[in-house]
Amino acid sequence: MHTAPTPHLDVATPERVALTLPVAGIGYRCLAWLVDASLLFFFWLVAYFAFTLVVSDVLGALQALSGLARTLLVVGLFATQWLYWTVGEVFFHGQTVGKRALGIRVVRADGSPVGLYESAVRNLCRAVDFLPMAYAAGCICMLLTRQHRRLGDLLAGTLLVREERIDLDKYTAQAPAAAAVGAQGAARALTPEEVELVLAFLARAEGLRPDVRRRMGEKLVDRVGGLSGEARAAVLASPERTEAFLRARARAEG
Amino acid sequence: MALPLPAFVAKRRPDWDALQALLARQKAGALKLEELRTLDTLYRRAAADLAHTQTFYPGTDAHRFLNQLCGQAYAAIYQPPRERWPAVRDFFRRDFPVTLRRELRFVGASAAVFCLGLLLGALVVLWEPRGAELLVPAGVRQYVAQGRMWTDDILSMAPPNSVASGIATNNLTVTIVTFALGMLGGLGTLYMLVNNGVQIGAISALCIREGMTRGFLDFIAAHGPVELSIIVIAGGAGLMVGQALIDPGELPRGQALALRGREAVKLVLGCAPFLACIGVVEGYVSPGSLFPTWVKAALGLSLGALFWGYLLRAGNSEAVRTGAPADSAS
Repeated sequence: MHTAPTPHLDVATPERVALTLPVAGIGYRCLAWLVDASLLFFFWLVAYFAFTLVVSDVLGALQALSGLARTLLVVGLFATQWLYWTVGEVFFHGQTVGKRALGIRVVRADGSPVGLYESAVRNLCRAVDFLPMAYAAGCICMLLTRQHRRLGDLLAGTLLVREERIDLDKYTAQAPAAAAVGAQGAARALTPEEVELVLAFLARAEGLRPDVRRRMGEKLVDRVGGLSGEARAAVLASPERTEAFLRARARAEG
Repeated sequence: MALPLPAFVAKRRPDWDALQALLARQKAGALKLEELRTLDTLYRRAAADLAHTQTFYPGTDAHRFLNQLCGQAYAAIYQPPRERWPAVRDFFRRDFPVTLRRELRFVGASAAVFCLGLLLGALVVLWEPRGAELLVPAGVRQYVAQGRMWTDDILSMAPPNSVASGIATNNLTVTIVTFALGMLGGLGTLYMLVNNGVQIGAISALCIREGMTRGFLDFIAAHGPVELSIIVIAGGAGLMVGQALIDPGELPRGQALALRGREAVKLVLGCAPFLACIGVVEGYVSPGSLFPTWVKAALGLSLGALFWGYLLRAGNSEAVRTGAPADSAS
């Protein structure tokens, strides 16, 4: 069932409603980091080539820079590497570009958005999480903690939550024009689990192999239909009729 | 009596869609006051719907959808106050120096550890010259053996990986790593402090032995005082983190860590602009002989005095004037 104990964050809002937000796992986080890292990499690549186009003798030009310019260059490079994450998290609702692409977001441990200090802490700690190489320390820490937090997250009191793409259309989708079989028969009200089961099946029915589609439809009809004999045979005559019946059944008003 | 799930979704969905649209526009930052009121109303309705689904349709997609929607609206409504320029000004005028004075114990401990390393490195090299082979990087030793400062080449462009420029560009990294390694129970910070102390001590002792005291002072005088102070302060911040890890007091370890982390990072963030300024001095004033030694020494001493004067005095009078009522109010 959906209520399997996946890691989650419980939030008690002032409105006295308990929110349960799913926590982003190590896979999401690595992918988001990859997106961000390649973005920064390409930024410097483009900057380098633009610089090369302007100045023909790159090595000579770099060496001709004064001590001041060199220091500024190094400080600037460091700032883009480090400021990027914090600016993204503070000003864009807890999301850098990579986190937005993956649909994850940084929040405090109580579910509220991160502030400047938290973001600064967790990003300064990248230096430690990166040890000894390739975020090994951070990954081990993520695997060991219940809410997949790396060392920087522990220090800052933050974690990452996931935003899922949930399609509500399946609840309101209209049956195709096929003749709907009357579902009123000996109808009892379905439980929410059964409705969910039927709708999940209907959403995926198109993509299933024919024999699987028929077999699962049959099982579902037996579970929710309460039909027998001829009526059942009529409903099972074709996948379209089966699904029309199930749709009507799931949408029946109690 | 609970409606069947599809009927419930169909009935309530317009409100949810409207809330989603408002949230998207809120992210873009284009909401009018009227719409903010609507946002508030819709959020409350969605929260009520969430409570409803929790009771009647737990574990369904509708439940998870509402969870997420309310989470986003919650984040949008309960935003932390935006940090603006006045906040930055306040931070440097009061928050940063006051925090530093409050945590002076840790900065003191960090300074003590650093000086210990300094003494250790210097004594080893003064006592036993071959110790330098162990403690001083090979590149530096080559230069010293030729009787030259390894920093002379920064302006006259020798190998770009010369040690001095490495030291210069590493300042930021050293500061951040010194702080961040506090996450290893403070041991990492102690290691960084001792290690840096030993290296600097050994190099200076080597220079003294080889009769290059003048050249060494010439290089280090202008930026040394402030730069070493900043590393010591970052060390203090790292020790704060380590202390929260080892001895969290009455709080759970995670909470103590988060609390101390917020305080500690103030010290590091506060140092950042000074580190940038001193980086400019180190890259521009310190190497070469553009400035006579006494100018550099005077500059370094006055910068150090200014820096510590600011740290120990700033926000003092204001704290006396405005701090007391603010404290009693909170």
